[in-house]
Amino acid sequence: MSTTIDSTRFGRIEVAPDSAIAFPHGLTGLDSRRFTLVARAEDDAFVWLHSLEDPALALPLADPRRFFAGFVFEPAEGELERLGIDRAGLAASDTAIYVTVRASERLEDFTANLRAPIAIVGGAGYQLLNQAPAAELRAPLFAELAAAAEQAA
Amino acid sequence: MLIITRRPGERIVLGDDIVVTVMEISGQTARIGIAAPKELPVYREEIWEAVKAENQAAASVDPSALPPVPPVTPGE
Repeated sequence: MSTTIDSTRFGRIEVAPDSAIAFPHGLTGLDSRRFTLVARAEDDAFVWLHSLEDPALALPLADPRRFFAGFVFEPAEGELERLGIDRAGLAASDTAIYVTVRASERLEDFTANLRAPIAIVGGAGYQLLNQAPAAELRAPLFAELAAAAEQAA
Repeated sequence: MLIITRRPGERIVLGDDIVVTVMEISGQTARIGIAAPKELPVYREEIWEAVKAENQAAASVDPSALPPVPPVTPGE
């Protein structure tokens, strides 16, 4: 049986039972452990991680590989072990890696958190620290716009 | 807050299964070893706070603020 969310952002959403994503350890600073992914359009660059428990809680995610050509994800071995995720699970074809998006008034100020990506592995979600040295906490999402704005300033 | 003075090599035991060891002190830097059950997350505070701030910032984004498709993609 599907459930519905009366989203404060998107109105009523039907959620199929198999599209619920449990976050056994939650998300730091946010009070929910059950989410689903909501896309506004099939080719949209952003998807929303929407709480199934709080109709007002949703955060935009982006596929880091779409925005950051050199994106590398290196979770710490100890953290994977603690969470019970194996490397094979992380590399599985149905595993998705996303990064959270911080919006701003100007597109050139949009950033993504490459330091703590969200991995969806076998129907469960985890936010993992990225050990890769270049993984910025606030990486400009539209780097070329940001560079152009800097040049113009 | 409980404040305890420790020398390098000395430990503090929290409950039954957490042991914090002062490994080494060098100038302004202390190296701390933590032995804790693997299901217990251990983070440097500034990283934990930073991730929390980014999560909360993302959770306050209004859908209308996002462009429908990105104006630039890598390699263009």
